[in-house]
Amino acid sequence: MNKPIIQIKDLKKRYDHGKITALNGLNLNIKRGEFVSIMGPSGSGKSTLLNMIGALDTPDSGQIMVNGIDLTVKKDLSQFRSQEIGFVFQMHNLIPNLNVLENVKIPMLEGNLNSKQMENRVMGLLKAVGLEDKIRQTPNKLSGGERQRVAIARALVNHPSIILADEPTGSLDSKTGDIILKLLRNLHEQENVTLVMVTHEPYVAKMADRIVYVLDGRVSKKGEQMLGPV
Amino acid sequence: MSYFSLILKNPFRNKTRNALAIVGIAVGIATIVALGLVTGGLKAATSETLKAGGSDLTVTEANSNFMSGTIDEARVNELSDISGVKNAAGVLRKTPTINNPVKGGFGSFSVNGIPRDKISVVDIDSVEGAMFSSGSKEIILGKTAAESLEKKVGDSINLFGESFTITGIFETGNIMYDGAAFTSLDTLQNITNSQGEVSTIYVQVYDDTNLTELSQNIEATYPNELTASSASALSDRINEGLGIIDSATWAISLLAIFIGGVGVVNTMIMSIYERTREIGVLKAVGWRSRRILGMIMGESIVLTLIAAVVGTVLGILAAEAGLSLLSGKISPAYSLDVFVRGFLVAILVGVLGGIYPAYRASRLPPTEALRYE
Repeated sequence: MNKPIIQIKDLKKRYDHGKITALNGLNLNIKRGEFVSIMGPSGSGKSTLLNMIGALDTPDSGQIMVNGIDLTVKKDLSQFRSQEIGFVFQMHNLIPNLNVLENVKIPMLEGNLNSKQMENRVMGLLKAVGLEDKIRQTPNKLSGGERQRVAIARALVNHPSIILADEPTGSLDSKTGDIILKLLRNLHEQENVTLVMVTHEPYVAKMADRIVYVLDGRVSKKGEQMLGPV
Repeated sequence: MSYFSLILKNPFRNKTRNALAIVGIAVGIATIVALGLVTGGLKAATSETLKAGGSDLTVTEANSNFMSGTIDEARVNELSDISGVKNAAGVLRKTPTINNPVKGGFGSFSVNGIPRDKISVVDIDSVEGAMFSSGSKEIILGKTAAESLEKKVGDSINLFGESFTITGIFETGNIMYDGAAFTSLDTLQNITNSQGEVSTIYVQVYDDTNLTELSQNIEATYPNELTASSASALSDRINEGLGIIDSATWAISLLAIFIGGVGVVNTMIMSIYERTREIGVLKAVGWRSRRILGMIMGESIVLTLIAAVVGTVLGILAAEAGLSLLSGKISPAYSLDVFVRGFLVAILVGVLGGIYPAYRASRLPPTEALRYE
């Protein structure tokens, strides 16, 4: 069977001088190429977990290995994020003065590809998300679903090992949300990328291969049983 | 799109705010450039004027202004007898009251009295028309003065209550002389009750004469009475005065750096507040802190460079307009030095003003930046 791409052991994180416990000894393994949904109530620690996997935040203790890299000891986490991770946020977070093409290209500016190679990769992805005819449009001219498709293309542009999606359909209507989820799922399969998605919607979570339920900063088996099989 | 094109693009996001910041910095740069051009122009004009004079030494009354003062006319002949002196001419300078002031000269219109046979000492070699005659009420006008007073050869002009006939018009290239008039020394002395007086003695020397020694010799012979200055020494004295303007330019530069720097800090901090989430996204997609730092610094410098271009154009226009209003004959001295100074100040403002906002942006924790509303 596949070796885990994400291995988390006894991960702890507290905020506000220790008054708020976000993660309380969380353990989790995610296999390469897996599509995992993370569910849990507000404040359970699911977004903190996603931020830890994406090296946007550091734990107080415990260990987190992603694709063989120990994030608790690695110094240059920006390089790791650039090469291994693609983020999709609830709010698309596109740069308003840049057009679709430029927004997707932004993560590539850290790399060494020439302009032609960048253009080819970006155009390929924009075709895959169905926006090849809107490359010169700025985000304010796009619908919510289109903006999220641009954000998905941006997340994939550097060939990451893992896509981390934080409530990617949270700001969309259900029909558009379904389209985005299907697109995410298809691209995860086509690009052979591990997909970890935080959601609080059970029907969204059930599109994944596996659901992980986080409660009080830990993975809860009870919660998973409550949700039933995927 | 490249990293650099992104840096060039970002300052145009909030056009009004950035335009105001650019105007603020541009005014400072314009002041630096305009003062530099005007000071340079004045220095060049002074130097030209002093070089254009045919004399080697200018002797004036001790402790008096270069333009005023009174010397006993007998000193002219005494100076002529000093070893090394080839020729000496006493010039009496008087300022008549006239209705239309002369534009393009060094201030007011002056009438100079000089012996007819010594006119070459003030570098008037040729005259359109004819030279004035000794002891007559004839006068020659400098070209600038003639244009300004709308006079031509054959016209008459009323000066000191007497009517003079204009016999000639001359042009020397010396702003002071071209804006003035020359007549016979004794005529001017008589009608202004200045018999036996001159204002300045112009001295020509032989080629092998040591000017410094001669100056010292004159001043030692007539202590507390006469001061002798060579053209270069006079130029230095005038330039010393203009040096005050230079110092003012530097003081204004520092003020521009400070005010402009505060403006840039304010503009860039506002920009960063507005773009906090965006900076969080850039960190999330893998941008290193120093790349974000470089981007914000770059934007700050782009802003001030645009201000430098605008300020330079404004400075040139201000210098041209100012000098043409004050004096049509003095033009701004365009030198690379003035423009380099303007651009260096702009870059310095960009760097100093951009450091703090750029540092702040680069140190933003990505999770906090992404949560920012």
